[in-house]
Amino acid sequence: MLYPIIWKELRDMLRDIRTLAAIALMPLIMMPLMGMSSIYVQNLQPGTVIINDNDQSSCVIGGVKISSEELVNSLTIAFLNSGFKVLHNLSSDNISNISPDLIVTIPHGFIKNATSLNATAYLEVSENVASSKSQEAIGILNSVVSEFSHKLSASKVLYLSELASVKIEVDAILSPVKTAVTLVGPSGRRASYEETLRIAMAKILAFSLIFVTTPSIAYITDSIVGEKERKTFEALLATPLPRWSIIIGKTLSTSVIGLITGMTDAAGLLLFFTLPSLTYGVNMIQYLTPQLIFIHSLAVYLSVLASLAIILPIVIRSGSYRVAQAFSLIVISLASIIFFLALYIDIDKVEPLPRYLLYFIPFTHAVGMIEATVVSNATLAIIHTSVIILTIIALLYLSLKLFSEERIIYSKT
Amino acid sequence: MDTDIATLINVTKKFGKVTALRGLSLRVPKGVIYGLIGPNGAGKTTTLRIISTLVTPDSGIVKVLGHELPHEKNVIRGRIAYLPEEAGLYERLTGWENLLYFAMIYFGRGRAEEVAKKGAYISGLKSEDLHRRAGEYSKGMARRLAIARALMLDADLIILDEPTSGLDVFSSYRIRKMLREYVKNSGKTIILSSHNMLEVEEICDYVGLINKGILITSGPPSMLKAKYHGRTLEEVFISIVGLGE
Repeated sequence: MLYPIIWKELRDMLRDIRTLAAIALMPLIMMPLMGMSSIYVQNLQPGTVIINDNDQSSCVIGGVKISSEELVNSLTIAFLNSGFKVLHNLSSDNISNISPDLIVTIPHGFIKNATSLNATAYLEVSENVASSKSQEAIGILNSVVSEFSHKLSASKVLYLSELASVKIEVDAILSPVKTAVTLVGPSGRRASYEETLRIAMAKILAFSLIFVTTPSIAYITDSIVGEKERKTFEALLATPLPRWSIIIGKTLSTSVIGLITGMTDAAGLLLFFTLPSLTYGVNMIQYLTPQLIFIHSLAVYLSVLASLAIILPIVIRSGSYRVAQAFSLIVISLASIIFFLALYIDIDKVEPLPRYLLYFIPFTHAVGMIEATVVSNATLAIIHTSVIILTIIALLYLSLKLFSEERIIYSKT
Repeated sequence: MDTDIATLINVTKKFGKVTALRGLSLRVPKGVIYGLIGPNGAGKTTTLRIISTLVTPDSGIVKVLGHELPHEKNVIRGRIAYLPEEAGLYERLTGWENLLYFAMIYFGRGRAEEVAKKGAYISGLKSEDLHRRAGEYSKGMARRLAIARALMLDADLIILDEPTSGLDVFSSYRIRKMLREYVKNSGKTIILSSHNMLEVEEICDYVGLINKGILITSGPPSMLKAKYHGRTLEEVFISIVGLGE
């Protein structure tokens, strides 16, 4: 008895081409646009840095020449490479029309202090708080200054070692403690850099589930409340069609639409991440294994079904667009929180109490499926999959129990 | 009693503080067009919904096609066809697909086409119209198709709530003709509600007048006219409702 309702629902939904196209194509267009804009639009807003060298001096220490000109050159190259416009030696009277993001001034006596053994040299920096580029400029400045500072320290250490006639290794003095990191998987075996990227990819995939819930919820609401409003539901309810087939049929057919739109959402998100990463030479797509694609697709479908299963008892009981929309927002927000959390935390490693609370939300298990798969924990992946499936079945059963023709007919839309 | 298609005895139904039916008793004989008439809010739609198994009464006995409600509603649903007031069609499906959908529900995929063809014939719609989306239909065409969808199912009891409500003269005439021919050819029973007294007088073999949730009177139109000394059913209706008030 499922066939007629699925036959009708799919026809009805697939013929609403405009809505379907808008839902499916929007993320495919918008996500890459967002990805591109995050990189290229930034370049359309070049920052401006002014470098003033009031010192213009140099000094030799430890056999190495240190000059303010060298620092100016290093800063200029670094800022230019990052797309900044660099202006030199402008007085404050001449900058009123420029509104620079950063002004770096090398004061008088800078090189003298920098090369001294008992003084500290300061660069004078003026940061424009109203500028979104100033933070980026500060980062570049700190990087150049750090390198310059290291070179100075090395020269001083060499100079002191010559004075003391002690043979030294400069790096052993300047960086006596370093970290040696070995990447390992959950089982303790050595992991490759590719694996790290694969785990990052899994987190992105889990996050992409955030876009899956909305379209399917909109469709199931329309499938029930909309049918009631268009006055076709009452005649259907008087037919011998079993109630379970109405619930399951509408859920399954809506989930197919949800799946299609969900997949385009995910594809859009991948493009969002891929375009910028291609720009920087890292193609994340290559870490998508067939196993990961399969488990992601399953997680998408189960997330869609879970969303429908949660909202269905409410829609059936209220029969009202407003109530359905209000609860849809709650479900979507709940799902969004979980999928967003997946970007930053490993849910299975959270403290027990909050973890068990999270486990009550079916979307947690969709994330768990992906995270467990990527670290090759098949048992955990199966447990998460089973829990979400059982939750969906329980919620659909609840919908069936709550199904009341009388309530549907007489409730206000 | 077994010759009756539907029997309601002392049925009551309340919706919150509103009492829709207050002890309604009704008998619908087999093989007739039974017209339920009454003013707005009299309880006609609630009565039809109870017979259609969609609403469960608070008290009283309801038997449809020999089966008692609410226990045997699934059996009854397979043998009735119900068309609610202003029932719409699935607008993105064609007229033909609308017929096919209900045919599949009642008869499965195997016989669906055959049954839908019967519906297409009953509707009298042209082939090109049947293959247009139902959303493009005029109100009259949509109503004809919806009624044909109910009639094609070969149900023992067809329940139609205000089948000609809001339709023009031509569409109403076509629908009355459809209903008359159907009962004449099939011997099935139709229960319909209507505000149009002329229509009820013209096509109904039996009439029940409901007011304020109870059946005031029932019988063939000619008998009611004689009993209440009215030249038309409309005069009978006004005199009874007026007396009731």
